[in-house]
Parts: sequence; C-alpha cells; structure tokens
Amino acid sequence: MQFERAVSVEHVQKNYGKFRAVDDLTFEVHGGEIFAMLGPNGSGKTTTIRMILDILKPDTGQIRVLGGPLTEATKMRIGYLPEERGLYRNVPVLDVMIYLGRLKGLSGDEARQRSLALLQQLELDEFSRKKVSELSKGMQQKVQFAVTVLHQPDLIIIDEPFSGLDPVNTLVIKRLLTDLRSRGCAIIMSTHQMQQVEEMADRLLMISNGQQKLYGSVQDIREQFALHAIIVEGQGDWGKLPGVVSVEPAANGNGHGADRALLRLDDQTAPGDVLAAIAASGDMHVRRFEEAVPGLNDIFIQVAEGAH
Amino acid sequence: MIWKVFRYELGRNLRRKGYLFTTLGIPLLALLLPLAYQALTSLDVNLGLDAVFQSGDRTAQAAGYVDETGLFTDPGALIRYPDEAAARRAMQAHEVATYYIIPADYVATGDVIQVMPTFSLAAIDDEAIREVILNTLAQNVQPQVVQRLEDPARFTDIKLNQGGAQQAGSFDSSFLLVYVFTLSLLLSVFMTNGYLMQGVIEEKESRVIEILMSTLRPTQLLVGKILAFGTMGLIQMLAWVGGILVLLRLANVLDVISSLAVITVPLDVLPLVLVYFVLAYLFFASAYGILGALSVSMREGPQFAAVFTLPAVIPLWFIALFIENPNAPLAVALSLIPVTAPLAMIERLLMTSVPGWQIALSLVLMVLLIVGMLWLAGRLFRVTTLLSGQLPKLRDLPRLMRG
Repeated sequence: MQFERAVSVEHVQKNYGKFRAVDDLTFEVHGGEIFAMLGPNGSGKTTTIRMILDILKPDTGQIRVLGGPLTEATKMRIGYLPEERGLYRNVPVLDVMIYLGRLKGLSGDEARQRSLALLQQLELDEFSRKKVSELSKGMQQKVQFAVTVLHQPDLIIIDEPFSGLDPVNTLVIKRLLTDLRSRGCAIIMSTHQMQQVEEMADRLLMISNGQQKLYGSVQDIREQFALHAIIVEGQGDWGKLPGVVSVEPAANGNGHGADRALLRLDDQTAPGDVLAAIAASGDMHVRRFEEAVPGLNDIFIQVAEGAH
Repeated sequence: MIWKVFRYELGRNLRRKGYLFTTLGIPLLALLLPLAYQALTSLDVNLGLDAVFQSGDRTAQAAGYVDETGLFTDPGALIRYPDEAAARRAMQAHEVATYYIIPADYVATGDVIQVMPTFSLAAIDDEAIREVILNTLAQNVQPQVVQRLEDPARFTDIKLNQGGAQQAGSFDSSFLLVYVFTLSLLLSVFMTNGYLMQGVIEEKESRVIEILMSTLRPTQLLVGKILAFGTMGLIQMLAWVGGILVLLRLANVLDVISSLAVITVPLDVLPLVLVYFVLAYLFFASAYGILGALSVSMREGPQFAAVFTLPAVIPLWFIALFIENPNAPLAVALSLIPVTAPLAMIERLLMTSVPGWQIALSLVLMVLLIVGMLWLAGRLFRVTTLLSGQLPKLRDLPRLMRG
C-alpha cells in the first residue's frame, strides 16, 4: 500500500537536559519517494529518526507513521538500518536473518526463503552458513541491508547506506533502493554523500542545530541557490554580451574545460536574454548553455557554515 | 514477540559446549566414575588371581605371610613362610601374588608390611591378614565380642524438629547434602545469568541492539532472554538433582560410594527448593540484566556482578551454623532477607521444618524485590542502549531511570 504521508512530523521538539537536540521540526515523507535527511554531525538527525521509530519520545509535537501513531503492528512494516550497526558475530548469516525476519512478523519458512533469495540477489548465497564474523565488512553491510528489507517494509529508514561499500556494491544497493521506491515504499535516507542524494533523492530535509534549514524537492532547493549566472561551453567573447558583469573560468565535473566559462549577470538580465544575444551575435559558437546551479555539496557547506 | 526471543536464545545457547558439559557431563561423570572405578577394581583383582591361576602352582591361596613374632601360627586363608626369603621366592615363583610381614615388635607397634611385585592399589588388601591376626588375638573371646571390638559403636543422630518428629542424619551427611544443593544452585544461577549478561553486552557492543529496539520493547527483549536462560538453568538443576538422586541410589550397591548411602534427600522439600531456584534466578537475571545494560564491554559486567553475588553467598559462609542450628536468629534473618534468602532458605529447608509463615514472608519479600529489579532493569535497559558507549556514573542513574 502506498501512503501519501508515510511519515508526518509536526512541531517536534526533544531536549537532553538543557541541550535542545531537535527544535520545532516539521516535515512529511511520502510513499514512493526517497527522502534525504541531511545535516552536520550532531545536528539531530539520529534523534529525529529514533523518535520516528518510537525508540525515543518527543517532548512536544506529534509524529504519525504509516497513517497513524506508531503501534506494534506498524513497527512490523518498518525496516531500519542504523548508522552504528552490527549483527550477532558468532552466528551463521542465515540464522541471524531468520531471527530478525521472524521478529518482523515473518514465519520461519518465509524468513528462510526470503533470506536465501536476497542473499542470492546480493551474491552472498554461498556465505549463508558462514558466521557473520567470517564475512568482510562490505559483505556484512550487504547482509545488514538484506535484513532491513527482508520483510518488504512500507517504510525504510537507512543511515549512511553506502558506507563501507565499493562502487559495484554501491550500485547494487542503489538499484535495490530505487526498485523499492518504484514499488511505493517510502525511504528515508540519512547520508553525507551528496552525490548519492543528487542522484537518488526526490526531496530532502536539511537540519542544523536541531532546526530545519532546507526542506523541499532537490531540484527546487538547487534552483533556490542558483547564482544568477550561466555556464557556457564554446568559443566567443562572452564579456561583450549585454548584462554580463564578469566572466570566470568554470571547470566541469572532471576538472577540465578550458572553453567553459561562468558568466555572472546583472540583476536586470535573465539567462534567456543572454541566450538570445548569443544567437543574434553570429560570431559565437556554443555547445552547452546552462543556468549555474550549485551542487548539493556546496549548498550543504554554505548552509552548515551559515548556521555556525 | 517474547516467545520469538525466547526460542532464538534457547536454540542458540542450549548448544553451548560449556553448558552441555556442566549440565549433562558433570552428572554423567559423577555416575560413571564410581561405576568405572568399581569395574576396574574387580577387573584388577581378577587379573591378579588369573596370574596366580596361570602359574599353575596354587589356586585359591594367593597370599602368604611371615610371622617374626612367632605368635600367629594359624594361617587361615594365607600361606605361612618361615622367613622373608622363602616368601619372596614363593612370590617370584608366582605361588603367591603378595605376602605380609608381621614384624617382631608388632604387638607394641601394630605395624604390618605388605610386599607385592609391583605397586597396585587394587592389590592392597588387609582383610586376610587381619583375619589371621584376629584369629590368634581373639582366641578365647566370643565372636560377638570380636565384632564389637572391630566396630564398637554405631551412632545415629536424632534431631527433633519443631513438630517433634524425629529425623535421622549426621553432621557429615547433612553438610554434604546442603553443600551440594547450594553449590548446584549457585553454579546454575551464575552460569545461566552470566550467559544472559554476556548476551546483552554482545548486543550492545555489536550495536544490533538498536535494530532490535526498533522492533521490540526493551522489556520484551529482556523477558524473552530471562525466560530462555531460566529454562536452561531449570534444565540444569533438574539434571543435577536427578543425578544426585540416582547417585544416592547407587550408593546402596556400589562399595566405593557406600558412605553416601546414609544421605537422605528430603524429597518433600524439593519443589520448594526449585521455587527458590526460580526466584534466585529471577533476582540475579534482573541484576545481571541491569549490569549488562550499563556495561559497555565484556570486561565491566563480570566485575560489577560481585556487588550482587557477594551478599548472596553469605549463607555459604555460615553453613555450619545452618546445619547445627537452622533456626538460629541469624539463619532465620538470612532466610528472610531477599538477597540471601534463596541459599539460606534452601539450607534451612534441607535441615529442619521451616515454619510456613517464614517461607511465605521470604517468598513475598523476594517477589517484591524481583518485580522492582525487573522494572529497574527495563528502565535502564532502554535508555542506556542509546548512549554512545559510555559507562554512566552513579549520579546519572536517577536521570537514566526517568528516561
């Protein structure tokens, strides 16, 4: 079942003694989306996640999960992969998965069959009888992910899902997550890997000092931080264009691009005006023209530093 | 949910080698060792006789003696030799398996020497030579008097319990009974609760606890574990008590443990003993659960456990008092104080008839303490799991309990 509001957090506050960990936080997570939760270390992300999971109680505010207050039955429909994670080290992989699957409401047979299928999907089937301690860190990470999704939850909360994974396994997990999203699952992903957020997340929440700093779709937020500038790739005397205040070299994502330039515009000039002027000039050759929007990494640093 | 935790923990921990050995191995060894000893002894004696038979020289008479006093002329079942050289030659010729020397100063010292070709515990036997000596010394004494000289008095202690009923026993057998029972209870309680504490700390150390907490309430996890390890403890106690009862039965037929035959286990108090075992287990389970919740690593838990274990074993220090006077004020007090009650009450129950009100009061006090401890364990279990690997200070505990 896909929920319009898989998680609804309203004016939630949490204090540890005199320290306010979460301050009047309000946001929603929808079914069928990957929702990124960002913030510097100690910003209140883990506390917020623990309150959603009912491990911690909020001091004030209301949290609704999968259509209502969190109940024992609702917990069975949530998959959680905490940042500081681990499994029973001296127990065979399959036994751990069956136990944790049974705790999530699966029968023994269901848990066994789904575990074996997931292990096969993750290319770990030959390790099912090995003890967890005999697996590499990356393999353990994949087993933990398998445990999180074993019971086919409606809501998944994962903290740093890609830490410790090589690029190949990162891709495997990304595919699994996007597959779950397409099936209507709501996914809350807490991470510091901005590239993954840009690639996968539909919306994000950034918190700092327990307060909401950014909230909305990834695209909207990037546009919100647009520089009022354009990036052009090609040949031409860009400084002659009307409305262009300055021309700066702009490296592309690979650090190359001798013919790539950042054109800062005055307040009266829109990017469309510059494009029209280039077309009219006749002596400029353009291969690429785009609005200069900062990456999430820059936005994160900008907001985090601003908060401090 | 509790059932799932219970099943998992039981399935996982019942297979522990240490547990299997102590639960089944110790009673089996206790039963098999006397049987094996008995079998080996008879085998050894048979071999000795066989050796004589094979020599073909003598048949039934397998031992000789040399009498340097000149007093013991009636050889009985033995062969008399005039001097040691002759006896030695006879032994070397396999005419006898062993021989005894009664030295000239025997009457003054009572010393007798046995000589055998190689040292063998099984061949050490003084029955035949005793018979030779007694036959001469008691020539003019009535056989019954001879028997009384050998075994002048048999004592039976009669303890009058509060109902006036007579109970037979002796200090040694009572000591053994009380000691074995209390030691079994202690060992079982501490072993299974040690597993419980290790399990909790392992879940904290490996951080699997946070995954569990997103599914289970802490009390469900704790109760599931307590029931699983309690079941293991109960199985262990039943195996041991069963082993003790079988061993005492065997004492009637096995010479090597015949001294145990005088011990009688008061079967009517065994159900109460098991009740106190369960309560002792629950008390320590909650205590060890708390310690597991507070500890950050495997090092700390067992160190802090002494806070609970030392007071609990106080009744063992006074075991002599419990046997001699199980209704002494100190014994009564220790059997009512919840921490010491399990051991103290079991020691008293095995020794005397404890008034019903004292049993009821101690049970009520223990149950109240256990409920409080379990509640506390549940409170501390929850919040401490969320602390990032720091051992809380004593002054932090009230705050942690409030959550």
